[in-house]
Amino acid sequence: MTVRVQSATRSFGRTTALDSVDLDAGEGVTGLLGPNGAGKTTLLRIIATVLAPDRGTVTLLGRDPSRPGDRTWIRERLGYLPQEAGFHRGFTVFEFIDYVAILKQMTDRRARHDEVRRVIELTGLASVSAKRIRALSGGMSRRVGLAQALLGEPDLLLLDEPTVGLDPEQRLRFREMISHAGEGRTVVMSSHQTEDIAALCTRIAVFHQGRVRFTGTPNELTAQAAGRVWADTRRSPAALAAWRTGDGTFRNVGDPPAGAELIAPSLEDAYLLLMGEPDLEVTHS
Amino acid sequence: MTVWHLEPEAIRRYAQGAAPPDLAASAEAHLMKCATCRDAIASHVDTRRVEAIWHEVVDRVDTPRPSWPERVLARLGVGEATARLIAATPTLRGPWLLGVAGVLALSVWAAQVDERFLRMFLVAAPLGPLAGVAVAFAGGLDPTREIGLATPYSGLRLLLIRTAAVLAVTVPIVTAAGLALPGSHRLAAAWLLPTAGLTCVALALTARMTPVVAVGIVATAWVLVTAPTAMAGHLDLALGVGAQIFWLAVAVGGGLWLAVTRNTITIKLGSSA
Repeated sequence: MTVRVQSATRSFGRTTALDSVDLDAGEGVTGLLGPNGAGKTTLLRIIATVLAPDRGTVTLLGRDPSRPGDRTWIRERLGYLPQEAGFHRGFTVFEFIDYVAILKQMTDRRARHDEVRRVIELTGLASVSAKRIRALSGGMSRRVGLAQALLGEPDLLLLDEPTVGLDPEQRLRFREMISHAGEGRTVVMSSHQTEDIAALCTRIAVFHQGRVRFTGTPNELTAQAAGRVWADTRRSPAALAAWRTGDGTFRNVGDPPAGAELIAPSLEDAYLLLMGEPDLEVTHS
Repeated sequence: MTVWHLEPEAIRRYAQGAAPPDLAASAEAHLMKCATCRDAIASHVDTRRVEAIWHEVVDRVDTPRPSWPERVLARLGVGEATARLIAATPTLRGPWLLGVAGVLALSVWAAQVDERFLRMFLVAAPLGPLAGVAVAFAGGLDPTREIGLATPYSGLRLLLIRTAAVLAVTVPIVTAAGLALPGSHRLAAAWLLPTAGLTCVALALTARMTPVVAVGIVATAWVLVTAPTAMAGHLDLALGVGAQIFWLAVAVGGGLWLAVTRNTITIKLGSSA
């Protein structure tokens, strides 16, 4: 396993952001799904070696990040896009990515510039390479964040809410890039968008109030909602959640009444059910 | 139409870059027009050398021109990578420097009016550069702090680069303000050694705490020790000859300690793992 987190706990003052969390992630895209404040960002910051857990153990790429030598070794093989990635907005796109490449210890100027050009090309930023970051749209800025994370072809790529604030087309483009990045390496990404998780991830962990409520594949999570989604001409009082769909019928999620017209569940249905049942914890190997 | 061709010896020398300038210019002009000679020269060309040259051309053409602060630093002999790291230091941006200069200008004006403000200026002068060091690493002001913390770059090296850059810019500003003060010009320079010593102590503390906390502790201790006596009219504790020797020793000792431990200490630039 590239990432192995065991019983990780982290508090900020009296708030427990992460409560005895376990997570394993190997090759492919692993998704952390959950509402805001569920602990996804805290866990990603711990895996990014930016934050230390109060308790528990973390092993990344087979090394222990609490040891300074191992930590530097891990960081040489790590790409990280924080949730609110900041930029030096007066820098051009090229200058900023070059700046991060310097921090990533790419000492040979020409090889470093080649690598900067490679990630700029990969993320579709070639046409704005000489533009100042302050002049870019939100979607383009997010691409700059992804480009810096891809520098040096990291073995472990961590993306915190990579698609937040993007329009549908930009999200599709991002999905393509993340999917491509996940080939042959380990990607851990967080999101509160079930569509992104369903489209990209081979494994998911669902977070709620600092705890992991589910681990398994997207299909396994979706299967949790089998027999618990039904269509009706009205909003059912028995439903945990219900909404009118495009064809005018209501999609109800919860415990169906007798004789209900059951329909195939989606990942979003299963996620809603999981969030609505506070005592349930499910782990698939 | 071209009817003559380059001699084999001329082709060999040109391909190896050993042709004199006149022959090289003539061969180059001919090769532009003659496909036969271009074919003939192909087997003599070192492809690795051509690739390296082409690479250099692409890099020169494709790499944006550095910003003017980076160009100035390059002229001063600073490496291009270090220049870029300095250019990203939050404290070196215009608004922060204007703020420091504004506060100092106000202090100088106040010192002209009341001698107590003069004494307070001398106590407060080292705090300007120290604050600059802290601000250079403050989470809210360094937008890329989170990204930087996850990179393998040496925390101590980054700390020293930014500290040196901050001191290089803020010390002249504070010195200029000091020269505008009434009274002895010796006093205007007397805060320099305490500043160097306090900075070294703050840097040493970053092995245990973040730069912001380290600077906060050092600055608070300095003010608590020196401000009461300075306000009472005694500047010896802060700026007398004995104090100058003490701070010189602290600065030299701190510098030596940083040099000796540079490969072994871990700097806490944030609450990292």
